[in-house]
Amino acid sequence: MLIRLIVPGEYARLEDLNASLETVLQRHGIASQVRDDVRLIVEELASNAIDHGGEAPLPHSQQELSVDIAIVEDLLKLEFRDTGAPFDPLGVPEPRLDADLDERVLGGLGVYLIRNLAHDIGYRREDAYNVLSVSLRIPHMEVSR
Amino acid sequence: MSLHIQVQPVARGTQRVTVAGRLDTHTYEDLDEALAPLINTDLHLLVLELSGLDYISSAGIRCILKARKALVEHGGKVLVVNPQPQIQHVLDMVKAVPLQDIFASTAEADAYLDALQRRLRRGAAGDPTP
Repeated sequence: MLIRLIVPGEYARLEDLNASLETVLQRHGIASQVRDDVRLIVEELASNAIDHGGEAPLPHSQQELSVDIAIVEDLLKLEFRDTGAPFDPLGVPEPRLDADLDERVLGGLGVYLIRNLAHDIGYRREDAYNVLSVSLRIPHMEVSR
Repeated sequence: MSLHIQVQPVARGTQRVTVAGRLDTHTYEDLDEALAPLINTDLHLLVLELSGLDYISSAGIRCILKARKALVEHGGKVLVVNPQPQIQHVLDMVKAVPLQDIFASTAEADAYLDALQRRLRRGAAGDPTP
């Protein structure tokens, strides 16, 4: 593992998490396009975790979000952990993108985006944590730095 | 992290809004609030000028979809102008805006709007030619 970042489970801290991630990924020569994808994935996952974690035994302020980052060959691996109530974002039905606007349900867009950006994605419940593993392909990895 | 919204004066049923910065979980409500009073049955086109927009997430997409839905109800639509690559990519993935309603530049959008106005004027004058 390269690094673990932990922030309280609040919207206000989400930007801190993304700023730290940005710095770490940049330092490891990850291209800006992949960094954009990571930022989007983190935001979508964190908002899901924060929105759905409300029934957990701990109030929001005591909940934690953490991200483990690793680079394995041409994959950037992110493991996202939160202390919210059990919630599998992959169980959310896919949005009907071809439906008429009237019938188009606005939910599920975030997870849909993550699925599209990720090379691989998986959910598991581990003790008190929701764990979501997401891997992304790193095109033309700049390993020289 | 912030969002800058500039609402231009409405002209001939067309409302231009320049959106710059980051449209995400933290800022989408600002755009929702800015757009809500602009959308009424007199408005036919909402032109979102996005050249200064650096980032969009699903929260921002929902803003755009909401505006489209409100306009489509009375035959209006949303045009998107000059989206940056990340924005274009996300818009494409979730089919937020039909491809023909996305313009690479203000000039392209203006040409489209001019042609549309000419067509409308001809229609109003009772000229049957398309």
